[in-house]
Parts: sequence; structure tokens; C-alpha cells
Amino acid sequence: MTARAFGAALAIATTVAHAQSPDPMTWLRKMHEATQRLSYSGTFVYQIHQNDGRTETSRITRYAAGDIEKLEVMNGVPREIVRTRDRVRCYLPDSRVVKVDRRVDRDFPGLLPEQIPALTRHYDISLGETQRIAGLECQSVVLQPKDNLRYGYRLYAEVRSGMLMRADTIDSAGHSVETLMFTQFTPGNVTRDMVRPSHEGKNWRIEDAGAAPASLAGWGLAAELPGFHKVIELKRRLGESRAAGQMVFSDGLAAVSVFIEPLEGRRDRASGLASMGAIHIYTREVANHMITVVGEAPAVSVQRIADAVEFRRPPQ
Amino acid sequence: MKDRISVLMDGELDDGSAARVIDALASEGEAREAWRTYHLISDALGKSRMLSAGFSDRVAAALAAEPTVLAPRRLGVPREPRRWLALAAGVAAVSLVAWLGFAPQLPLVAPVAQAPKSTVAPVVAKEANAAVVPMPSGANDYLLAHQAFSPRMSFQGMAPYALTVSGRAQEPRR
Repeated sequence: MTARAFGAALAIATTVAHAQSPDPMTWLRKMHEATQRLSYSGTFVYQIHQNDGRTETSRITRYAAGDIEKLEVMNGVPREIVRTRDRVRCYLPDSRVVKVDRRVDRDFPGLLPEQIPALTRHYDISLGETQRIAGLECQSVVLQPKDNLRYGYRLYAEVRSGMLMRADTIDSAGHSVETLMFTQFTPGNVTRDMVRPSHEGKNWRIEDAGAAPASLAGWGLAAELPGFHKVIELKRRLGESRAAGQMVFSDGLAAVSVFIEPLEGRRDRASGLASMGAIHIYTREVANHMITVVGEAPAVSVQRIADAVEFRRPPQ
Repeated sequence: MKDRISVLMDGELDDGSAARVIDALASEGEAREAWRTYHLISDALGKSRMLSAGFSDRVAAALAAEPTVLAPRRLGVPREPRRWLALAAGVAAVSLVAWLGFAPQLPLVAPVAQAPKSTVAPVVAKEANAAVVPMPSGANDYLLAHQAFSPRMSFQGMAPYALTVSGRAQEPRR
């Protein structure tokens, strides 16, 4: 074969491959768009693979016209979460409590389509295998982290709609730490009634987080974790009414929150690391405050952020 | 532009200027973000009505003793914000400190433990060697508060909310 013929053959092969599967960034954009645009209902499982493992089954319904989503957790403690444009409400029928959080996260720091290319700073992004999930053909996109301060991801998008059907979080050894996967998925056919809360919430105790952007004067990190930048700083309440500050750091995909609470009246003061799937929680005391760092990042990242938390008196 | 938005919120722009600012709000993401931020600050201040008696006196005293305007940095408040906005940003910061009972009174010594300062890439992070503890009580509250800000929601919708500490795991071991 002459070089020219080989070149032509290669060009044709490339064109064909392109027609079948656009580049991984296009798939990420498709997934993002589908998450915002589609109405659907489905059942999915959330599996944690570490230790004995655990599986949670949930039902999710999204009504796109009203931008309302409802999630019902099917096993364990009954729980229902309804998210509207400006509020997240978590109904806990056992304790007759509804936790209300105002959405200061609206559009930010959620990942915006134009920020997707910036993910290549911390992840190598490539196309993976195809797989059938819940009876639908899916294309996978692999996000391989460039260091071990963040997890990798394997995301499976339904080929026509781009809807994310499965997401695996991968540790540095290449093992999946948690899997989130639809076992049944129905696009469309969602009415407003289907996303109303099942509980009226009458005579329930309301715990309003009262979250609002604010400056946590004096608090910060002695050193930022490479790639993780502060995206928001706010005040809020936790639990029944504990005052807390919250700072969120993100690399564009993973996020780590730092919660700051006065020590007074705290019963448990255990410092250390707790884990659940991809989530790590690290607690320690700084300047008479309890620092709780929570994030879907490897233990070492959560711990390093926690260890860097410091209080400096604001300049007079 | 941000100054003009602030003045518009004060109702002190003439019709022509107001129309131009409103046009900008309709077309510029940055202007809209500023408008939203300033209203959030004003909302946050509205919340302070719930605080204890004498609070505003304490804030006033704190403000008098605090010449620096502690404007939230990320939100891009101008260096010398105008009128109520300057006051608002200052009050928001001061009231937060008061509200949280923050700000230790004594100068602090350097934090005991710090992350390694190396920023050379690629980072070879050492394995975490912290004491392993059970999930803290109230872990679900932290998760709920954290998950709202996770960018992975952009791909996964609400799904990450499905994960909480199960009732069983939360109970102390007997």
C-alpha cells in the first residue's frame, strides 16, 4: 500500500469513527444537557463497594417544565427529597422533620457546559466501552485523574438522549469505590403531581438551614490543595439550629466542604477520619472550633484540606 | 457597572441611566450575578431581624471598631462599594462573626498541623494516616449541606442525595 493510499484509508477510518462516536467532550456536554433538559422517572441503585458493601435503592422523578425533582429512598430510613428552583426540602417522616435549604448553589458552582474543557487540567478524558444498562445502549466516558488527589470516573451516557445511566467512582488502584446506576428508566410522561412531596408536612418541625453567602472573616486554608479552589463561602444552620460556616473547594468535578462550628455545647469531639464510599469526613479542632471536612475525594485530600484550615485575626 | 447596580437598587438613578443598567442586567451574566449577589446580601441582612435584642447596637459598635470593609471577596464586590452596599457587606461579615460566636479573642499561635506546602506537580500524596472513627453524629446534615454544592450534580442530577448514613450505622455500638 502506498503512503497516499494508506493516508486516505486512515482518513476514511477516522471519519467513520467520528460519525459513530463524537469526542468525549461532546459526550460530557450531552450528559450535562440531558440532566437539565429531560423529564424522566426511574429507579436507581447506589452501591458502595468498600467493607461489607451497601446498596440503596431510590426512585427519582424529574419534571423539566417546572425544574422540579423528587427523590424517594426505598430502603432503610424513609426519606424523600424534593428540589425546586430555589429550595431543597428533605422530608423525614419517622421524626416528622422537614429540612429546608435555600439553593444558593443555583447555576453555581455547578458545572457549566463552558467549564467542561477546563476539566482536562486535572483529568485525562477519553471514550470507553459501550454497555447496555437498563435495556438501553450506553457509551462510556473515562475521566482519569492526573494525580491521586482526586478520584477517577467512568460515566455511561445513553447514546440517543445523552442521559447519564451509570457512574462509577474509581480509586487510584483502579477499583470502583461506588456505583450509581439506573435499573429502570422511562423518559417523559411526568406530570407536576408526580413531583409533589408525598407528605404534607403539617405539624412537622421545620429545620431551615438559612444558607446565605457570607464572608467567614479570618478563616481560610494555609495552603490550597492543588487544583481545588474556593468556590463559595456561606453561613448556615446545621441539624436543629447549630450555627455554622461553610467553605466549598472544588476542582470542577469533585467538591470538598469545610464546616466551622463553635465548640461550645458539642458532645462528640472525636477527631479523625470516617469513610462511606467515595465520601470522606474528617474532623479536628482549630481555634476553639470544630472543623468538619466532607467531600467526595480521596481520604488524603480531605485530610490535607482539614489540616490546612486556620484562623487568622482579620487585619485591623 | 457594579456601582451603578448598587445605585439602581438605592433607587437613585435617573430614568435614562436606569434603563441602560437594566438592559445590562438582561444581557450580561456578570451584571446579573452582581444583582443577584447584592440581593442575597440584602436578604441575609433581613434575617438579622431574628437576632437577639441589642444586636444592632453590637453591630454598630463592631462596625465603629472595624474600619476595613470585609466584603465577600469571591463575589467581586467593588473595592470601594457605595452607600448601603458598603454598609451591607460590612454588616454581613461582622454579623456572621457575631452570629457564630466566632473570632477568638486572643491572638492565635500558628496552627499545630499544616498541610505540606509543596505545590510541585504531580503531587505524590502520602496515604492518610488519621485515626479512623465512626461517622460523626449528624453526618447526614453535613452530607445534605455538602451535596448541594457538588458539581457532580450537574451530571448526576439529584442522585448523590440518595446516599446518607443509614440509621443503623448512626446508632452507637452496644
